[in-house]
Amino acid sequence: MATPAAKQYKTLGEEIWKGRAEKTNAELFALTYGALVVQLIQDYEDYEEVNKQLEKMGYNIGTRLIEDFLARSNLGRCADFREVGEVVAKVGFKSFLNISPTVTHGGQPPAASPTRASTPQPAAPGSSFTLTFDENPLAEFVELPEEALEGGLWFSNIYCGVIRGALEMVQMQVQATFISDVLRGDESTEIRVTLSKYLEEEVPVGDD
Amino acid sequence: MPPPLRLNAVAFVSPQNHPILIRTFSQSREDELKYHYIAHTSLDVIDERIMAAVAAKSNDPYLGLLYVEDVAVYGYMTPLKVKIIITLELTDAVVKDIDVITIFRALHTAYRRSVGNPFLRLNTPAENITDHSILVSAGSPRWKAFRKRIDEIGKAVSGIA
Repeated sequence: MATPAAKQYKTLGEEIWKGRAEKTNAELFALTYGALVVQLIQDYEDYEEVNKQLEKMGYNIGTRLIEDFLARSNLGRCADFREVGEVVAKVGFKSFLNISPTVTHGGQPPAASPTRASTPQPAAPGSSFTLTFDENPLAEFVELPEEALEGGLWFSNIYCGVIRGALEMVQMQVQATFISDVLRGDESTEIRVTLSKYLEEEVPVGDD
Repeated sequence: MPPPLRLNAVAFVSPQNHPILIRTFSQSREDELKYHYIAHTSLDVIDERIMAAVAAKSNDPYLGLLYVEDVAVYGYMTPLKVKIIITLELTDAVVKDIDVITIFRALHTAYRRSVGNPFLRLNTPAENITDHSILVSAGSPRWKAFRKRIDEIGKAVSGIA
């Protein structure tokens, strides 16, 4: 659905990506992340715990990444959660990783008003969008062994943390989880992001 | 149109001369042992060629036709001293070096991608990295992607003119 806004986001994402003076070698990035995940597995020996740690790490990254993102993109507040999804996919992932996941919006709770201009509330909690990745730079060389498959490892779980951390800094509390992953043998790699609630303006919680 | 090159077998051998993966594309099962034997005897020839190459100060990874024993055996050595040996069926047509080099490059890339898998390290925590047991485990039956890639290369070679 190429509405004018969607096209703008796409071009904005590409411009920011091209405008970056320093880019990292993709192989180095993939190998570093792979070594990190394997080290976590060796340290914790429990795949659920590794998932949690990856998400926590992502959260810490996300809270700082959003600054860089907002500074470069100069985007204002999103009108509704739908727009959040578009921006995350087309500008966010594009400008940092040069990938363009597709967004599917869904899970509008029944009470939500269809027109966005008239409602003061941007979206009801419970709305969600799904990001579908057709390529994943983190998983470049990866092949999961059986124990990881059985243990339920989500290799790229750091993405979920980054999304959660970044959105929390702009007053949205969300849950981001993997639904499927090609590394696990599924057909596609998908993350579902669900809005839990809007946060009141608060003094930010200190870093732990 | 010249007849296609028939790739019979591919062998990867570690720097310590341990077999990493030996894959055959011919139909009969009993030939598999034969290719193990061919890979093994190629190692001596490779050593000779390497010494000659070092004397000639050439850094070329492609070692050329090693020897012929009812199949043509070609060798290639990667910078980390992993040896790739392939056997092609003897044909009357001239086999161009550039074709064989292309096959070796594809095999080398497949190998590099498989070795990049971070999970190879998972079950060998206490070992020294230079032990090369990790490289050898890349060819074990646990990691199916490596075999699939080699199989695809084999099919592609047989499919090209």
